[in-house]
Amino acid sequence: MTLYGIFFYLISAVVIAATAVAVTRENLLHAVVYLIISFFGTAMLFYLFGAPLLAALEVIIYAGAIMVLFLFVVMMISSRPSGEALFPPRQFLPAVFFCLLYLLVAAAMAVQTPGLNAPLQTLTASPRLFATYVFKYHWFSIEVISMLLLVAAIGALNLGTAGRPGVKKDVPEQPEKPPTGSNPGAQVSGRTED
Amino acid sequence: MIAPFSHVLIVAGILFALGAFCAVVRRNLIMIVLGIEIMLNAASIVFVAASLHLNNLDGQSFVLFILAVAATEVSVGLAIIVYAFRRTGSFDPRNFNLLR
Amino acid sequence: MPGSPSHTLDLAAMIAATMLPLASCLVILIAARSRPRLCAALSIGSATIALVCSIALMALNSKMGAPIQFTTDFIASSGLNIGFGFLLDRLNLLMIVVVSSICFLVQVYSLGYMAGDSGFSRYYGFMSLFTWAMMSLSLSASLLQLYFFWELVGLSSYLLIGFWYEKFSATQAGKKAFIMTRAGDTAFFIGILVLFLHTGDLSIANLGSRAPLAHLSPSFLTLCALLIFGGIVGKSAQFPLLTWLPDAMEGPTPVSALLHSATMVAAGVYLFARLFPFFSLSAVAMSVFLAIGTISMLLASTMAMVSRDIKKVWAYSTISQLGFMIMALAAGGYFAGIFHLTTHAGFKALLFLCSGVFIHHFETNDVYELSRRGARRMLIPMVSMVLGAAALSGIPPLSGYFSKEAVMGSLAGLADPVWLAAGLTGVFLTAYYTFRLIFILLFPRKSEVSSAPSHESAPHTAPAMALPLIILATVTAVLGFFETPLKHFLENGMIPGIVTGVRVGAWPHMAALALALAGVALAWTEFGRKGAEQIGFIDRIPVLYRLFSERWYIDRFYALLVDLVVDRGLSRLCNLNDRKVIDGGIEGVCGATVESGKVTAVLQTGMVQYRLIVIFAVLALLSLYYYY
Repeated sequence: MTLYGIFFYLISAVVIAATAVAVTRENLLHAVVYLIISFFGTAMLFYLFGAPLLAALEVIIYAGAIMVLFLFVVMMISSRPSGEALFPPRQFLPAVFFCLLYLLVAAAMAVQTPGLNAPLQTLTASPRLFATYVFKYHWFSIEVISMLLLVAAIGALNLGTAGRPGVKKDVPEQPEKPPTGSNPGAQVSGRTED
Repeated sequence: MIAPFSHVLIVAGILFALGAFCAVVRRNLIMIVLGIEIMLNAASIVFVAASLHLNNLDGQSFVLFILAVAATEVSVGLAIIVYAFRRTGSFDPRNFNLLR
Repeated sequence: MPGSPSHTLDLAAMIAATMLPLASCLVILIAARSRPRLCAALSIGSATIALVCSIALMALNSKMGAPIQFTTDFIASSGLNIGFGFLLDRLNLLMIVVVSSICFLVQVYSLGYMAGDSGFSRYYGFMSLFTWAMMSLSLSASLLQLYFFWELVGLSSYLLIGFWYEKFSATQAGKKAFIMTRAGDTAFFIGILVLFLHTGDLSIANLGSRAPLAHLSPSFLTLCALLIFGGIVGKSAQFPLLTWLPDAMEGPTPVSALLHSATMVAAGVYLFARLFPFFSLSAVAMSVFLAIGTISMLLASTMAMVSRDIKKVWAYSTISQLGFMIMALAAGGYFAGIFHLTTHAGFKALLFLCSGVFIHHFETNDVYELSRRGARRMLIPMVSMVLGAAALSGIPPLSGYFSKEAVMGSLAGLADPVWLAAGLTGVFLTAYYTFRLIFILLFPRKSEVSSAPSHESAPHTAPAMALPLIILATVTAVLGFFETPLKHFLENGMIPGIVTGVRVGAWPHMAALALALAGVALAWTEFGRKGAEQIGFIDRIPVLYRLFSERWYIDRFYALLVDLVVDRGLSRLCNLNDRKVIDGGIEGVCGATVESGKVTAVLQTGMVQYRLIVIFAVLALLSLYYYY
């Protein structure tokens, strides 16, 4: 086993362990932080697989932007622990069953498909090479993606301002109380926040 | 010589299963979105590894798109979650069953 | 056959005689209803043209040999060929002359009778409708076509009976007539279908020639004949469907004269004569017809003996005379039946029109009331009425005498003397009830006359009403002397080999005359002579009186039957079926759907994570499936 191989298994173990811990945390803050570790590991895997630009983007966008957005939301909305079971059995048992089934099938497929056992060679796509490739063959997709990002930004802005008092928009008036889980305190606090 | 491609697939598979598990089991909207992120991440790992395996940069290009889509999804998804939380004061997906 | 100039002329005349009344009806009902005088002019004009055409046809074809037929395909399909067009032979030549002349006279009469009525235009529209339907019925070339017009005649009868629809009893009577004739027509239609299925031919000319019927079994022929005779029973108000005709007197009197005595009800007899060769193939059916005709004749006569309503007396008498015609035809007296039809059309229309004058003037139907108020002082109608009544009773030398003698002759030819005895009884009863009415009208009781206003001047009869009376009275007086020419005319056209009456001795004629005179004499002693109490012998026997005035309880029986079978039986069954089977079934299906929906709705919780689970499960199973 080469050094790269050792790195791979090590990092993989870290990623899986961090993800598993994140999934099982009751505190959302902890979960997000553990997930950041997982994404750092993923970035290292990307680097290992010869994609330095993507590794940088993974750190910047995933670990940086997205996870920080999650952190903001989690910290902005202080949700009290519900006190329920973390894994309600009605969802837990079927989920475990099907995840294991899925894993079994995937493992069997990965092992049995010929040509997949060849070890990966170390090879690096430099950012220049990658950028040239992307903009040569996928320039249209880049444009579509940028349009998608713009639309998402506008949508998020719209959703974020909807329903707040003092914002003139053609949203309906404060929506009526839904039949379940209504919490008047949250609404009042939601208004006073602004 | 790093490792067999199948091992990468298995690692990504485990990650994907964890993400699916997270999205399905945790009774919290934010955790559902997190689970989806994990699954996207697992897919990204497979793409990059396959790019190396097949010696083709298309895989890496797709990871770029996955990043953009993930960012989009997270921004809109979190905005929706915040909006929903303002309306009901809860993150519990059981409370969002008006379509029943 | 068409092509020669004479036949082209025939065709044109027939088209004019049938289509112009239709055109007049349409114009009146669609466009001209606001102008009553124009309507009357149109209707009478078309009736006049029909009459002229009929007489012209009669003159043109007085020496005709084979029947003339103009047909085109109405329904033509593989193995299915129903003609449509005109058939002209001696029988319907006579029939169209009778129909169109009575139509014409009655429409002229209606000018006076219906004057000032709010439905004047509508009346003439319906009259034109009837003229068209009846003329076309007489000229129909195929049984199906005849059936169409048969129903159209029934429709115009319904419309005209219920003409004064503000009167509840009139609408009820219209409905009753429609439904009761419909009962017979259903049998008629089934008969047509059965016949068509087995012969594939509905042409009247072919049915008359017997050729397509030769291979059919006798029992099948009997069945067909009885079914078709059902239509005749309904239309001609024979037993057991006879009670609609008295009620049909709710319509205007000219309508009663035209439809319900002279022509429409005679359509049944006409159909019998039309298909006479066919009917005479089945001896069983013929004896059934004979029985039905006899029963109707006697029943209706007894009913007429107790009625106080002048129109109802004539209605019962119509049923009874139609019974005579059917008896004559069923006894094989083809000419006797037709001849009685012809003379009856004349004198019965005359009687109705005379009664119409009285009813129009005194506005009552009650015989005693009419008598008290001085009906006898109206000279023209009263004289005409006596003439008509004498004809009806069979007093020589009026037309009824000759036709009734012919009927008796054909009855006497039968092996069984029962029929002749029944016929003679009928003659006696006819004379009795007819002259009972006449004597009541002529000799009012003194005590009542004195109370009536006597200073009234003799009532005047409108010329439009008087003219038809005079014409009809003349016809009634002289028609009997045309017996021999008519007999030659009709029987020359007959297919040889059909029994047309057997020569018997003179004694039935003598007996009939004697009995008629005896009936008149009895009526005289009870109603006519000085100091008579004007109470019939039937009135003295309460049981019989009630039986006769309740029409032998036939209506009660029908009401009971309808109540028992339809209301309590069928409708309850239908109701049960509706509630238990249909509603229950629908509710069961709906309930099952709702319940199963509730069961499956448990799965649909609206919870997003359960859906995610399902998605992953499906993906996992799919991968399993594709991998292995």
